[in-house]
Amino acid sequence: MADAMGFFTDTTVCIGCKACEVACKEWNQLPATNGGLNTLSGDSYDNTRRLDGTHWRHVKFIEDFSPDRSQAAWLMMSDVCKHCVQAPCLDVCPTGAIIRTEFDTVVIQADVCNGCRDCIAACPFDVIGMNEASNTAQKCTLCYDRMQNGLVPACAQACPTQSIQFGPIAELRQRADARVDTLHSQGQKNAYIYGKEDMLGGLNSFYLLVNKPEKYGLPASPTLATIRTAPSWLFSTGSAVVAGLVGLLGFRKHRMDAFAAARRSSTGEEQ
Amino acid sequence: MLLDRFNPVHWEWMVYLEMFIAGIAAGAYMVAALLEWSGRGRSPLARSAHALAFPLVALAGLLLAVDLSRPERFWHMVVQSHTMLPMFKVWSPISMGSMLLLVFGGLTFVSFVDFLISRDFFRLGGWRDERTLHGSAVGRVWALLGLLTAFGTAAYSGILLSATNIPGWGHSTLIGAVYVATAIITGVAALLLIQTIRGFIDEDVVALAGTNTWLIVWWLVMVVVFLATLGEGLRFIATGIASVALIAAIVLAGVVPLALRFAAGARSQSLLVPAVSILIGGLLLRFAIVMGPQSVH
Repeated sequence: MADAMGFFTDTTVCIGCKACEVACKEWNQLPATNGGLNTLSGDSYDNTRRLDGTHWRHVKFIEDFSPDRSQAAWLMMSDVCKHCVQAPCLDVCPTGAIIRTEFDTVVIQADVCNGCRDCIAACPFDVIGMNEASNTAQKCTLCYDRMQNGLVPACAQACPTQSIQFGPIAELRQRADARVDTLHSQGQKNAYIYGKEDMLGGLNSFYLLVNKPEKYGLPASPTLATIRTAPSWLFSTGSAVVAGLVGLLGFRKHRMDAFAAARRSSTGEEQ
Repeated sequence: MLLDRFNPVHWEWMVYLEMFIAGIAAGAYMVAALLEWSGRGRSPLARSAHALAFPLVALAGLLLAVDLSRPERFWHMVVQSHTMLPMFKVWSPISMGSMLLLVFGGLTFVSFVDFLISRDFFRLGGWRDERTLHGSAVGRVWALLGLLTAFGTAAYSGILLSATNIPGWGHSTLIGAVYVATAIITGVAALLLIQTIRGFIDEDVVALAGTNTWLIVWWLVMVVVFLATLGEGLRFIATGIASVALIAAIVLAGVVPLALRFAAGARSQSLLVPAVSILIGGLLLRFAIVMGPQSVH
């Protein structure tokens, strides 16, 4: 098994150039428009809007302005699939289309997926969407094909500021911790790592953020959707048992009442 | 907190209709199993359940397959497409549900054939009602297996919703429990409706109608507990048209049949109106739970 590989995205050095988005679309031959339409979102400089089946990289432009606009800051973040160590999408996939690769990344096999869309519902980051060309669920593969040939993923290769760094996870985590220490020493005390081991076993694509996760459109505490499966079965069983008992007792009572009534009437007839 | 969603799941009318139909099949088969174990596996009511379950399960399976974005690959849920080995992931609700539906479908198919034999459909000479599977010792085992898989079929689709990160669904672990209760009352209602239309109201039917009153009370308790424990998830289910459907479901499947029952008192009551009311209410509940969270984006 190869080393676990992934991305460390330092949002403090992202300049919003979208080279990563372009490189991703170029390499993976993804359409650059939304269904052939070049419509503007009206949401800052972000016309990509979201991650989905044809947008596997998404540079977010977050305008962090105070109400009177005296304080203003841009938060830019190149978002991507998190390649979770405990991946909810992989857990729920009923066809085995979603696999974990030798690089500890998570990939959807387009030739196996039958489009049940449960992975879309299970992903806590709203990363997966339907790809209209293949009619299957799709997302970032972390350039599995490039990695198999010893190449760096297209987005990381194209990033001009090294906001997106690719490499072995262990090495990236050390690099990220050092970067947080540097920022803290420079007075930026709000810098922290999003996606450490306590989050879904660790995100193989993790981030250095300087604001709350919600500000970046990320969940503060993402959960593995299937943790609710066992309790749900338990409560369902409880519901069935109660209903069964009610049914059995009720049915028996009504039958006995009917028999008693029949016996009374037959006794009355005999008399 | 669950993230507001932008990528649509597109589980729409085929999905909630499948849940409704599979639920009726499961509920009806549960009644048949109850009758089997009461020594009445060949009663007209049990035979109606045998006749009803398989066509509904088949239709539900068809709806599920057609709803896939790649319907021609529906078999990937049962067999691994690369290795041809069985595909089963116990922790994946859809995988579990596919298997349950498959097994339940097989069991109901045999019961359906058994029903046809009992009606002399196959002209198998002496092999008639007194020698059929149901009503025999093996029939009891068959009914038990059917009962277990019927429960699984009724529960899995609700559990599937809970095992997501969609706000509203992911806020509760009780959807499966509500679905089980809904399956039972709608299955019973469907049987009562059929027997009423056939004009075949015997003691079993009267007893079942009386029992359903208590089952409806249990269903109402489950729905109220489910809604009361949703917390911030409530605004995703009780929203827009789904909130109207939810209220209508409670009124039609819960309040109306109970009111009619108590209004009738000791007098014999028409079974047609409450049965239809429960069925419509059951469908509306599925609609509200499935479509509510998807309408919030």
